[in-house]
Amino acid sequence: MRDLWDGLPAGVQDVAVLALLLLPLLVTGLVVTRGFAPWPLARAILWRFRWPVLIFALLIAVAVGTGIGLIAQERALRQGTAAAADPFDLVIGAPGSEITLLLAAVFLQPSDVSLLDGAAYEAIAQARGVAFAAPLAFGDSVDGAPVVGTTAEFVTHLSGGALAEGRIWAEHGEAVVGAGLGLPLGAGIEPAHGTGPSAESDAHAGEHFTVTGRLPPTGTPWDRAVLVPVETVWEVHGLAAGHAPERAEQVGPPFDAAYFPGTPAVVVRPESLAAAYALRSQFNGEPGTMAFFPGAVLSQFYGIMGDVRAAMSLMALVSQGLVAVSVLLGLFILSRLTRRQMALLRALGAPARFVLAVVWCHGTALLAAGTVLGVALGWGAAAVLSRIIGARTEILLHTSLGWTEVHLAAAFLSLASLAALLPAAAALRAPVIEGLRA
Amino acid sequence: MAETPALSVRDLVVREGERVLLSLPALDLAPGTTLGIRGPSGAGKSTLLFALAGLDARATGQVLWGGLDLLALRGGGRAAFRARRMGIVFQDFLLFDELDALGNASVSTLYRTRGDRAPLKARAGALLERLGVPDGRRAVPTLSGGERQRVAVARALAHGPDILLADEPTANLHREAAEALAGDLLAAAAGPGKVLVAVSHDEALLARMDRVIALKDGTLADA
Repeated sequence: MRDLWDGLPAGVQDVAVLALLLLPLLVTGLVVTRGFAPWPLARAILWRFRWPVLIFALLIAVAVGTGIGLIAQERALRQGTAAAADPFDLVIGAPGSEITLLLAAVFLQPSDVSLLDGAAYEAIAQARGVAFAAPLAFGDSVDGAPVVGTTAEFVTHLSGGALAEGRIWAEHGEAVVGAGLGLPLGAGIEPAHGTGPSAESDAHAGEHFTVTGRLPPTGTPWDRAVLVPVETVWEVHGLAAGHAPERAEQVGPPFDAAYFPGTPAVVVRPESLAAAYALRSQFNGEPGTMAFFPGAVLSQFYGIMGDVRAAMSLMALVSQGLVAVSVLLGLFILSRLTRRQMALLRALGAPARFVLAVVWCHGTALLAAGTVLGVALGWGAAAVLSRIIGARTEILLHTSLGWTEVHLAAAFLSLASLAALLPAAAALRAPVIEGLRA
Repeated sequence: MAETPALSVRDLVVREGERVLLSLPALDLAPGTTLGIRGPSGAGKSTLLFALAGLDARATGQVLWGGLDLLALRGGGRAAFRARRMGIVFQDFLLFDELDALGNASVSTLYRTRGDRAPLKARAGALLERLGVPDGRRAVPTLSGGERQRVAVARALAHGPDILLADEPTANLHREAAEALAGDLLAAAAGPGKVLVAVSHDEALLARMDRVIALKDGTLADA
């Protein structure tokens, strides 16, 4: 049986789980309403008490939406950050915090990290299995956009092989800008020292970059970056340009270790998967370096986030439980509003199951409306949050409804519809004569 | 061989705690008879009517309709009996405000078998027309008191019951409407084997009944 299940395509499994979750609802509905036509009356009652019904439906929607939004947002963030880290196979830096270096190198967040010297860089660049080793240099900005010094090879890698327009730099002082920056080709830009509100706009007075190319959209913080030759960043700061004086105008590797001012991170493109692991092992084993796969570090981070998510999910579940109790009380109140109608039905000779069906149908319709509204609300809230986070981090977050959310909503609806039998059963126990006089 | 009474009540008692609301040692009604119940407010008239309908869970004793003891049946059996054989016109109409006139008159179609629904609805529509509410789509709040009462009567008659119970059916109606409604009720109960039991203060209606009993303090008094 287990083998059969495991052999099913994921989509079929998801549909099967959904069907299983909805089974109690469907079976209850069939058993309760079979042979009767309770909907016209249930619909009429819902319309008559539309305002309290609307309030209860909104209450349910908020409860369901909280859970749905939490899951959808967490997944969008996980997928978005994973996609952003995708071009970064292996990152090598000075020993310290992997998370800090990840945030600096991949997500371009300002961070204080130690530098690798020229000898370390040379060892990395010349190591076996390295396709290219691109140093990254940070610290400056243009109108809030980070300036990143690197190599043409890395720009080519980041762009997927072709720029959206223009060309990669050919000499010092030329720049390739991210797709999210509105700077046209040929535009002249002046860097400020530092980033954020404390950037010193005149610290690099006289320095000037010219835009020669534009990256295609990557959905990462690099869409708002200004990429220049790493030599340019060093020169702007009055440092050696990475090459011996007789080759001072050279752009790109190889670098001369004696004239290499240092780099906080080196992005390594390994020739193969085996080479990637070998390189990580090699540079983690050396005293002056630390190597990591950004994807693996993110996984560890997701692990921590997963615990937080579990805690938040538990809180969401508790809140949903509380709302479910409130909804149950609400259904009891609604059934009190309709007790005269139910007593009348019983007095006219309607079977108990029909009375049960009417109360259950209007309760379940209310629950279903609230659940569907909640799914839309959760998805909408996650989409808005994704836009806000995307605008702040430049990480492209795609919010979508996954099977997990659909299953959560289905489970809630199914269980709540079973609970809706309680007020329905209570309506049957109420004395008819009291109900008629209500 | 003596004919089985349409209604036979034996030792019917309704208590609320220690207080006796109704005590009726015996009452028999022949098939095809109409019975009027009169009495001052609080005399137990509605209590008797509800007990005859099997609606009062506090009732003890026997209420035999054609030999079948309604009080000996469980809730489901009583409901099925009412649905099949009884039509009840309640005081204050007791209509579903959520449904239109035809929806009220044919409300029992909602819980009847699929095959019964269409003829019952057609019959309800015809009854409404005959009783003077030709537009079945009218919402209940737009109906006058007399129209509501006629919709209630149509609902009670739509499934063709042989027992018709009515609680103050002509109350709140002007004379002309009351007489018309009384005529409709009596006509509906005129078939062979049919029974009409009506609680009323309306002397004109009571005067048209075959038999009238009076209640006082929950017991029979001189009519």
